[in-house]
Amino acid sequence: MIRNFFRKPLSDRVLCLTFLMPCLLLLVFMIAYPFVTLVSNSFYRFSALRSAQPAEWVGLENYVFLLTDFELWERFIFTGRFVLVTVTLQFFLGICVAYILQRDFKARDVIFTMLMIPMMLCPIAVGFLWRYMFNSEWGVINYLVSLITGAKVNWLSVTDNALWAVVITDTWIWTPFVILLATAAFRGVPKSMYEAAEVDGASALFRFFNITLPLSAPILFIALLLRLIDSFKQYDLFFALTGGGPGSSTETVSFTLGKTAFSYFYTGEASALAVILLIIIIGMSLIFVRYLTSLAERS
Amino acid sequence: MNNQSRAVLLIPFAFILLYMVYSMGPLFWLLISSFKGRMDLFTMPPKIFFTPDWSGYQAVFGVGAAKDTAAAIGVVDALINSIVCAFSGTFLAVLFGTLAGYSASRFDFPGKGDFMFFVLSTRMVPAIAMMVFFHSMFSELGLADTQIGVIIINTFINVGLATWIMKGFFDGVPREVEAIALINGYSRFYAFRKLVLPMVKGGIAATAGFCFIFAWNEFAFASILTTTKAKTLPVKISAAMGSTGVEWTQICAAGVVLVIPVVIFFYLIRRHLLMGMTFGVLGKSS
Repeated sequence: MIRNFFRKPLSDRVLCLTFLMPCLLLLVFMIAYPFVTLVSNSFYRFSALRSAQPAEWVGLENYVFLLTDFELWERFIFTGRFVLVTVTLQFFLGICVAYILQRDFKARDVIFTMLMIPMMLCPIAVGFLWRYMFNSEWGVINYLVSLITGAKVNWLSVTDNALWAVVITDTWIWTPFVILLATAAFRGVPKSMYEAAEVDGASALFRFFNITLPLSAPILFIALLLRLIDSFKQYDLFFALTGGGPGSSTETVSFTLGKTAFSYFYTGEASALAVILLIIIIGMSLIFVRYLTSLAERS
Repeated sequence: MNNQSRAVLLIPFAFILLYMVYSMGPLFWLLISSFKGRMDLFTMPPKIFFTPDWSGYQAVFGVGAAKDTAAAIGVVDALINSIVCAFSGTFLAVLFGTLAGYSASRFDFPGKGDFMFFVLSTRMVPAIAMMVFFHSMFSELGLADTQIGVIIINTFINVGLATWIMKGFFDGVPREVEAIALINGYSRFYAFRKLVLPMVKGGIAATAGFCFIFAWNEFAFASILTTTKAKTLPVKISAAMGSTGVEWTQICAAGVVLVIPVVIFFYLIRRHLLMGMTFGVLGKSS
């Protein structure tokens, strides 16, 4: 590859580098440089608020403190619970809707387009909208709930309910994404497979689990990884809906990080937590990229 | 058709109907709440029919009865900031992304795989983790609370997406286009500008649509980088929520103002949704 690169005429090489430069410079400036500083900050004890006070080198102390902090482990467990519940729900709903919308009917394309809207909206505004609807006194959701059960639910002031409130909102935003990818995946299944199964008299359920699902697994796996990464770093919705409360019981790791950095201004500690978070996300992204390359090689 | 198979058809139909209520209901509720006066807002059972009240929109734009009153949240400044920053950020991201996407599509350069992964990381990295650093970097550079700062952020969050999507569109243009131009004595840049670019016009428009939506919606960075002058609309709304005695009519009206451009842009780019939402790694159009 490298030899090919230099064998090209000079003008091509210059053009290639010139074209890459703006993008590369911006990303180095905005990711690589901050990342290096972030890592080095994580070995110091200091606060961005008191920049006059010299930073104190503490080695791995920030990391040791964080990783032995029981409260932080609880945040990780809560984040894990949230990710598990919300992604499962989105996949169940998304796959069902995509499966039903495979059938051709008049308004299908219009319905499909409309259903995609929620994921394009501003998450923070969506969070406020749902907070408005989740109000336990006069919110429309509690009105509907009380019609069915006769009782009102304290959505945002009880930990478990607050988790569900965020899950319902997150599912509202991101199920369209699963619908979109599942539809693309289902369309990729060759028609001939279904015809063969039809001849054998296989039931619709059998066809779905033995033909549709296995053959659309690669794209669904991509969807799963993207959803796992995104919901793991979910910040806006918790900010808008629960503010991490009641207490700090609905704080995700990202939220705790935001608080450590911008409410308490423990910059060193926050940097260490950011590095831990980045390592986890980069690990997940690497799986994503490896899988994509292996898919590209197979086809 | 017998009764049993009719029932089997009804279940999916009911399921879709329920899902549509879940999916569209909140948007409907946002729209009608933005027209509700204070009296209609808190009644139980909630009203669907009521006399529309424009006070929310008046307060949002600072006109009519709400002109110069302290109670109005007045988002005009924030709206202008949002428009300026979203369009500028989109322009730069699409420009950078188109150039880099062309290079990535046409040339094999050393470390190309790493470069593309590095570019992808703009989508993967949690904003809040980078904020810890950006906060001090932007203050030191004097970019905190300026439109230029927000424009840089909007360019940054989109440049990776633009690069990946544009690479996909360039991949769809046959290499022969440039080969023939080169044989005929034109430079590669000329071929790129006069032949290849016009062929990906639609792709550039779609990319711009996505970048605009993401820039328009960006909250996490802007909330920490802007404090007064350069507040964008989402930050402004969020700030209005923080004050005591939330004026829900105003918040909903501001929300509608925030949502309308997104819906318009979304409608224009709907065919490319799959590409835009998967960072261009899946399919050129849905």
